[in-house]
Amino acid sequence: MTATAWLAAVQTLLAVGLAPGLAGVVRRLKARLQGRIGPPIGQPYRELRKLLQKEPLVAHHASWLFRATPFIVFATTVAVAALVPLLAVGLPIYAVGDLIVVVYLLLAGTFFLALAGLDPGSPFGGMGASREMTIAALAEPVIGVAIFALALTADSTNLGRIAARMLAHPATAVSPGHLLAFAALFIVTLAETGRLPVDNPSTHLELTMIHEAMLLEYSGRYLALLEWAADIKLFVFFALLANLFVPWGLAVTLTPLALAVALGALALKLGVLALALALLETRVAKLRLFRVPELLSVSFVLALLAVTASLLGR
Amino acid sequence: MPSALWLARAVMLAYAFGAVGALVSRGRAGRALGAAGALAGSLAVLCLGVLVLAGGTPLPLPSLVFPISGVLLRVDSLSAVFLLIIGLVGSAAAVYGYGYSAPAPGHPVEPATGGGAGGPRPHPDPRAMGTLLNLLLATMTLQVLADNAFTFLFAWEAMSLATCLFVLTDAADPEAVRAARWYLGMSHAGFAALVGLLLLLSGGDLTIPFEVVRQATLTAGVRDAVFLLAVFAFGTKAGLVPLHVWLPMAHPVAPSQASALMSAVVLKMGIYGLLRIVVDLMHGGPAWWGGVLLGAGALSAVFGILYALLESDLKRLLAFSSIENIGIIWMAIGAGLIFLSYGLLLPASVAFAGALYHALNHAAFKGLLFMGAGAVQRSTGTRNMERLGGLIGTMPWTAGLFLIGAAAVAALPPLNGFASEWLIFQALLEGFRIPQPSTALLMPIAVGILALASGLTAACFVKAFGITFLAIPRSPAAERASEAPFSMRAGMALLAAACIALGLGPFVVVPRLSGALEAMGLTAPGPPSPPLVTRPLGIAGTTGQMSPVLLAAGLLGIVALVHIGLRLAGARAPVRRVDAWGCGRIRQTPRMQYTSAAFAEPLRRVFAELYRPTDDLTVHVHPASEYFVQSIEYHAAVSPWIDRLIYRPMLGLLTRIAGRVRAMQGGSLHLYLLYLCVALLVALLASRWLG
Amino acid sequence: MRLFAQLSALGSSAMLLLALIPLWRHTVRAYARAFTWQSLTLAGLTALTAYFSGDAELYAVAALLLGLKVVVIPRLLARMDRRFGSEIQPYLNATTSVLTAGVLVLFAYIVAEPLLLASRLPTRGGIPLALGLIFVSLLIIVSRKRALTQVIGFLMLENGIALLAVLAAYGVPLVVEIGVFMDALMGFLVMQIFVYQIHETFESLDVEQLSRLKD
Repeated sequence: MTATAWLAAVQTLLAVGLAPGLAGVVRRLKARLQGRIGPPIGQPYRELRKLLQKEPLVAHHASWLFRATPFIVFATTVAVAALVPLLAVGLPIYAVGDLIVVVYLLLAGTFFLALAGLDPGSPFGGMGASREMTIAALAEPVIGVAIFALALTADSTNLGRIAARMLAHPATAVSPGHLLAFAALFIVTLAETGRLPVDNPSTHLELTMIHEAMLLEYSGRYLALLEWAADIKLFVFFALLANLFVPWGLAVTLTPLALAVALGALALKLGVLALALALLETRVAKLRLFRVPELLSVSFVLALLAVTASLLGR
Repeated sequence: MPSALWLARAVMLAYAFGAVGALVSRGRAGRALGAAGALAGSLAVLCLGVLVLAGGTPLPLPSLVFPISGVLLRVDSLSAVFLLIIGLVGSAAAVYGYGYSAPAPGHPVEPATGGGAGGPRPHPDPRAMGTLLNLLLATMTLQVLADNAFTFLFAWEAMSLATCLFVLTDAADPEAVRAARWYLGMSHAGFAALVGLLLLLSGGDLTIPFEVVRQATLTAGVRDAVFLLAVFAFGTKAGLVPLHVWLPMAHPVAPSQASALMSAVVLKMGIYGLLRIVVDLMHGGPAWWGGVLLGAGALSAVFGILYALLESDLKRLLAFSSIENIGIIWMAIGAGLIFLSYGLLLPASVAFAGALYHALNHAAFKGLLFMGAGAVQRSTGTRNMERLGGLIGTMPWTAGLFLIGAAAVAALPPLNGFASEWLIFQALLEGFRIPQPSTALLMPIAVGILALASGLTAACFVKAFGITFLAIPRSPAAERASEAPFSMRAGMALLAAACIALGLGPFVVVPRLSGALEAMGLTAPGPPSPPLVTRPLGIAGTTGQMSPVLLAAGLLGIVALVHIGLRLAGARAPVRRVDAWGCGRIRQTPRMQYTSAAFAEPLRRVFAELYRPTDDLTVHVHPASEYFVQSIEYHAAVSPWIDRLIYRPMLGLLTRIAGRVRAMQGGSLHLYLLYLCVALLVALLASRWLG
Repeated sequence: MRLFAQLSALGSSAMLLLALIPLWRHTVRAYARAFTWQSLTLAGLTALTAYFSGDAELYAVAALLLGLKVVVIPRLLARMDRRFGSEIQPYLNATTSVLTAGVLVLFAYIVAEPLLLASRLPTRGGIPLALGLIFVSLLIIVSRKRALTQVIGFLMLENGIALLAVLAAYGVPLVVEIGVFMDALMGFLVMQIFVYQIHETFESLDVEQLSRLKD
């Protein structure tokens, strides 16, 4: 294997390994902002280890699809993590899938998770599946138009090339189109990763659940895989926001020093985003389900304005 | 290439053999002969398509193939793409039809609600089905080979009639009769438009070869008229909103192999006609042509999938989803025409390649899905999803194959639906190259609409698969369902394999499509062919690259690694079966599950302004106190308001005109002779003045 | 100059975005806050233009804006809000109004297109945004039911016109500017009187009630 292939593998493992840690940081920050001490940052890792050891329970009516889904969801999420530039631009792996592939891989995970929600025949699972697909469907056009805005400024949907182009033309980073696209994608991130104000990741009431309602029947190693996949998804979205819009720090040359800088920059950017998320989640309440489309329509208009501004402000 | 000629002859011979064979013999032999003829013919069609696409040269077929004077045939790469579609779905339908037309397993069929699937289905005559299958396939083959207006019209009408007879297979069903009436009406309106446009295009002589038409120069006004007529004629055939009304009626009532053919192939004839006439013969036109197609396609895409979402009749759901996919293809063609009018050849060829590829892919997955729905209907006696469920246990093969189709139509990578939508996205993303900003702004909106449609498709097919195949059976019939016979499974498996192969291999398919683009006159000056660049195992669009094969390998590798990793981590405790969580309820019943209507409810509320639903809630309370509710009635209905807005006034008008015209019906022979004379005189005068 | 172009486009888009907030928030407080920030951005942009064009008069305009629209009017608004409460049910629901606003901005871009092609001003990037702001403010005025929210829509409209003046002509002469301010202030006061009057007559600020006047 060549150095670039190794680097791609390292990047992927980094995302998979650090993702629970990021979730732990967000939880910890939230607790602190709310005046609690909060669990240690390593808590998600401990939970995963515990879940892996536990005996998995499966509902009577669940089929093979129910048991296959955690693997499918985990695989699609890790594949996405492999396609997102974390440390370096210009790796050949970015040609395996561009931004559109990333979006549809995530949709594939959601698709199977929703099917798994319907499978045991429990009303909560069906409810979660229905709501999740509604939100996913409405988030899709926002992502599509935001991709257009990104592709327009970079003339490419290749993730590595978008970041590289931004590095080469730093002035575009503060253009209105760019900022609007960032805002649109940030709202989509909240919707897609099931955070407040769209969904409450720490709810314990079945009727208010969206993402958690689909996982309600899962336990043991299956639940561990799905929780881990959800953490990776959050990590990937944060990495996209960080490295496509603020790519500084990404290694252009593959020297150890540049990679170390890239790692530091990544940690810094993820930390800022985690703080922003924690602040937001502390300040806002969950929206009613039928106000979520309003939020997404706002972000759609933001994305559309982003394209307009970049298209006509050239 | 004499082999192509021989293949073409073999096609027609095989179909003729199948049609006649099915008609003259009885029982099992008739079914076998019909299926054999259709299979042999379709395989030959497939070979012909592959041969021509690989060779890349257009080839006139002497009219020996089809012995009627005035018929002119020719095969080029554009025809070849559609030959592939016919051959692929045709051979699957032939195999599937062999099992499907056998008597269904004899369990009492319960009356189903909605969708006209009620009552024990009188079994359609297998002989008629075999003959019609062969006829339909033959006419469609003729359609794509036609090289003059006369042949085109002849095949068009024959195809419409064959389809109509298929819709009428179950003539005792009033739903089918109504569907056939609508279908006939709409397709003849389209036919009239087609005659008009071909007359305009060929200057009155319907027998001149298309090559002459290609060279002809027409004034801008005539070209615009031809284009609008083409949109109407081919829009009717392809089921474009608002010309789609017949489609959700006709497709569900036909036998399932015919539904599969109608949705997967017959609709594509509208696409073929549009490409042949507008792009090939007329070389595109001004930007607004593309705008019209883009707008109509966007409307179809969104409305088609929105109505599919609310549907609980499985085959109607699939029919609406076909409208959506046709809309996507029209959007791609529209974008291609816009790019072409600005001389942007690269994005235009990516758009057209995306349209052709999506036509091929849609044929594969929609054929598969309709066949799966047919298998479900055959073994449970209903296609109402509210009475299905749990079939993944009793019909595992059908369920697995249907799942592949559902994932493909939802454009999940690395299946085929994704590959073509990716290409279309790539083309639309190139929209910023359009110099005129107000036109360029159409493209991001089109991207948004396409993304919305594909998101809604994912939701729709989670519902279609989840409610039909997963969870607990909702009726005794669903509980007792049995797996489809081998031939039906084989037919579906063929298409499922095609879905996977077409998804993994865009780097094989897409470069071959450039031949079809050349056949439409899209050749870039300078570098050889339109740069639909192949990469090792991947494709490059205009702005990005992807490789479905590597992606699939990666996904499989990760699943394997996770599996091994779990073993190594000691996570191998055996699974224990328990009751599903229910907040303390005693027993789980099917009625506790989410239903098809409940699943779609959030989206129905979000898009209430487009659906215009009528909700009716009546609460009956006890006369003594309003706090004791005795019963609650809730009716919700969504009636497509496009139909109401356009067709009701039009039908009213037609009825009024017909009433007027009836006054001419005197019943006296002399009066009719007088009409004849007047008509003759008028015709003579007209020819004197105009000619 | 490039920096100036970037900053002015950025400021204009911020103003436009702030005008979107009233379309999906439901309280007068949110409206008033959006207006305050918008005016602050406008004042900043005016000062920026003064700096880059070297026009001292514009500093005065900026100061005036700051005093009037960032301090005085928001206070008055807050007082009225306290008196009348702030429930609002607009004619258009949030999703539709936001999407309509998006279409209006696209429309503004198309309208401003020939202007942009002809102009060589560094501030030309913001002109369609200012137009869009005017359209969106009109949308607010048209689609809201309460007199108070319509007043805020009117104030945003005024901001849009001022922004257009600053971007397209580097501000109109001070005299005209002051005139416009006075006009706006008078308009605001008149409206305030009306609002009080409406409230006293109908016990409500719902403008729909006014349609009863014709009977």
